[in-house]
Amino acid sequence: MEIEPKFTARHLNFFYGDFKALDDISITINTHQVTALIGPSGCGKSTFLRCLNRMNDLIPGIRVEGNIQLDAEDIYASNIDVVNLRRRVGMVFQKPNPFPKTIFENVAYGLRVNGIKDKKILKQRVEKSLKQSALWDEVKDRINSSALGLSGGQQQRLCIARALAVEPDVLLMDEPASALDPIATQKIEDLIHELKKNFTIIIVTHSMQQAARVSDITAFFYMGKLIETGDTETIFTRPSLKQTEDYITGRFG
Amino acid sequence: MERHFIKELDDLKMTLLNMAALTRRAFEKATQAYLNRDEALARSVVEGDREINNLELKIDQIVLKLLALEQPMARDLRFILGATKISKELERIADQAVNIAERSLFLCQHPPLDHLPAMDQLIEVADAMLDAAITSFVEENTQKAIRIRQMDDIADKYTLEVLQTLIDKMVKSTPGAEKRILNTRRAVQTIIISRCLERVGDLATNIGEHVAFIVEAINIKHQKIDFDE
Repeated sequence: MEIEPKFTARHLNFFYGDFKALDDISITINTHQVTALIGPSGCGKSTFLRCLNRMNDLIPGIRVEGNIQLDAEDIYASNIDVVNLRRRVGMVFQKPNPFPKTIFENVAYGLRVNGIKDKKILKQRVEKSLKQSALWDEVKDRINSSALGLSGGQQQRLCIARALAVEPDVLLMDEPASALDPIATQKIEDLIHELKKNFTIIIVTHSMQQAARVSDITAFFYMGKLIETGDTETIFTRPSLKQTEDYITGRFG
Repeated sequence: MERHFIKELDDLKMTLLNMAALTRRAFEKATQAYLNRDEALARSVVEGDREINNLELKIDQIVLKLLALEQPMARDLRFILGATKISKELERIADQAVNIAERSLFLCQHPPLDHLPAMDQLIEVADAMLDAAITSFVEENTQKAIRIRQMDDIADKYTLEVLQTLIDKMVKSTPGAEKRILNTRRAVQTIIISRCLERVGDLATNIGEHVAFIVEAINIKHQKIDFDE
């Protein structure tokens, strides 16, 4: 498969008030690949992730300089429909956050917001999303039960199904397995391998092993700068820069 | 506070250096036993091999533990993989030393053959190769590690010279069944020693390749290197 860029960030600076959280970030994120963003706390990796679907817009006092293109379209251009951007670029958070509704309604929520009312279509799309998130077999007999009755790992896969239901191109994952046990974590990681066939995935993780296991490309951030990016095998076996090596071998700080 | 993992890596390095020192000593003792016809020294090489074998097992154990419990990355990972490979080479070098010692024990019990200058030179080259292998590891010196291979051709040349000389001697051996058998046996044992020395050179070259992998993340195995560069 030919590798095409999905996101292209060029000279991106990001400010929380006077604080420069991202400093001159330029990176290309490829379609149907998993890109892991790693780095110590406060390095800017989550800020960068949230720039990709403009989730940071919700924070007062922020300022963005530079450029991010999604499929060659500037996502910070004035004519961009941010709601549509977030449909195309879905997000899954650290802690599973299902709505206090049924499993079905959780997944159908985004579809209804997007104006889909046809019950047959809703049913089809909910089933497809739950299958894509590898949850269908576990919940198909209790689809109308409360989502809050699911285990943590199941809730997280439900959140992934909810993000997938609106048929995004990209899935942003902010430490999606950090609140899960090893078995649930493994399921999420296996799921990431499956999902990349159809989606572009960008994952923030504090677990170096997780980044190594799931990603094709790894980007190392430190103090707001993108220090090194490269294919994951290279980054974890022979990184170019000492700073990267020191971080991934735990000699940092 | 020093990280537990770093301490464990240091322990691995120290164990490997200890193994390298013992192997080097075994090789020196074996060649001295051959040159000086010293039976006691030859026996001490045979007896000392167990300690080197035990260190190989200890290194395997440390490596398995570090891989399982620490999930090392980058240079640490390369060092751990390299350490297990280097310990295998050292163990084989020590086996060659035992082989040399055992042949020397046989030779000590019979009158010496005529002096073989090529054998002296072969011992010198093999020793230099082993020394370069170990110091390249200690100094993390890739250039030194890569250049061990240059000496390999010289070692091969002397090995061939020893072989040719001893074949000639066997062919020209004086008639008389008993003396001819003894001559042949001594010559064959000496040829085996020369073969062991040549193998030590090969194994030292392998160590150099592992050092290059650990330090520079380059794999120079099975690759031609232009030393004129």
